[in-house]
Amino acid sequence: MIKSFILPIKELIKGLYTVFKNGFKKRVTLEYPEKKKLLNNNFRGKINYIKENCIKCGICQNVCPLISCIKIDTDFSIDLSQCIFCGNCVENCPKNALYFTKEYELAVNNKEKLILKEDN
Amino acid sequence: MSIFYLIYIEFMIRINAPHWLIFALWHLISFIFIAILLVITVIILVLFERKYLAFYTRRKGPNRVGTYGCLQTIADAIKLLFKENIEPKNIDKMIYYTAPLLVFSPIMTVWFLIPFTSGIIPFDSSCSLLLFMAILSIPILATLFAGFSSGNKYSLIGGLRACTQAISSEIPLFLCLISISILSGSMNLDSIVKMQNDSIFQWYIFPNILGFIIFFISALIVMNRTPFDLPEAESELTAGYHSEYSGMKFAMFFLGEYALTFILSAFIATLFLGGYNSPMGFYISDLLNLPIIFQEFLKNIEQFIWLMLKTGILILIIMWIRASYPRLTTEKTLIFSWYILTPLAIFNIFIMAIYKLLRSIL
Ligand code: SF4
Ligand code: SF4
Repeated sequence: MIKSFILPIKELIKGLYTVFKNGFKKRVTLEYPEKKKLLNNNFRGKINYIKENCIKCGICQNVCPLISCIKIDTDFSIDLSQCIFCGNCVENCPKNALYFTKEYELAVNNKEKLILKEDN
Repeated sequence: MSIFYLIYIEFMIRINAPHWLIFALWHLISFIFIAILLVITVIILVLFERKYLAFYTRRKGPNRVGTYGCLQTIADAIKLLFKENIEPKNIDKMIYYTAPLLVFSPIMTVWFLIPFTSGIIPFDSSCSLLLFMAILSIPILATLFAGFSSGNKYSLIGGLRACTQAISSEIPLFLCLISISILSGSMNLDSIVKMQNDSIFQWYIFPNILGFIIFFISALIVMNRTPFDLPEAESELTAGYHSEYSGMKFAMFFLGEYALTFILSAFIATLFLGGYNSPMGFYISDLLNLPIIFQEFLKNIEQFIWLMLKTGILILIIMWIRASYPRLTTEKTLIFSWYILTPLAIFNIFIMAIYKLLRSIL
């Protein structure tokens, strides 16, 4: 009888103590625009293109699961608004002309800006 | 009569003010005092609760508006003020608009009854204890009104839950007040405080520790604070009885909730923890050699600080509980207050009566 009274009280106090201990641990909040999360090395952000390395072989265009994402007619261009960041083009490029950066804040107010052209 | 009142009367008679003006103005002054105090405490309390809960849950809390987020509540209040007045379709207009006022005004009235210092008792009555509980039962009616008139099933369930819960918790609350009345032999809050003034061992928490615990838990139920916040359980009922209110009307409910939390904590401090009395048994201002008016003034400030400290500690505990425990179910709350709190409270009255008898004999 007495035990059934004391046990819950003990547990309640234990709960309070557990929460209290939390107060002195490291904060988990990251204040986003000022501080950013550390990213993995294999993070797939915006794709960069090195014009000098490219031999215009067209492999990247063939392995890309999307039809009109990569275009190689006279100029090389990637449409990042369609790209799903699967990484096929980067892995299959024979000259390492494509690579992923860690840039992920890609929001723009004009879709045209997401098309990566040869000259930039 | 407090020294402030005497100074005020003296001043008003000197400038030949008419009689009715003297009394009306005194009440107006106490009204302004209470209103300013209420707004300031609520603004501080809302911000403090957010920061304090963030402390326990390993977050940072608001820190964008002002230094360390100190202006966050003011920004929120301005946002609420300028919101559009949205009126749901199936409401009962008259009751719908009365409910926020009916929640807020009794809680504000109750603030007048607390003896903040020995000089500042906005409304001194011989049965302020009874008055306190009588007025405090009005907001519950308002929560029922709000739930009933919103034309929303969640609001209705929330309102009904608030009502059942409040009825079941107010009985142990009243029974604890009886035990305090037995101990002090009075129903005047100021004389209850004055009885506890000699030292820390005169506080009523020491003979009446069981009463204190019961009162504290019942007060949590009345305040709708977290282990018992069923009326506004956001996971089941969106926001319970005030889910159809927005803008300033919602702010009234919000303000009322925090004002109630503060005033009930102050009430517990007054009844059980010696109210405005210093726990050391003497006041620092008494030790200084000052003219009597300054001394009295300093003493009042000191008493106010003591009361606020005690209230603050109680609020800290209440918010700590909010950070720790999950919500109970409806029937568990009711069973808890009817089967455990009420019999214990009645038992407590017997103990207190015997204690009082023994003390008068020995
Ligand atoms: S696979 Fe590489 S080298 Fe070939 S076209 Fe694409 S980017 Fe140029
Ligand atoms: S990452 Fe995938 S989707 Fe994007 S361009 Fe390369 S192959 Fe196409």
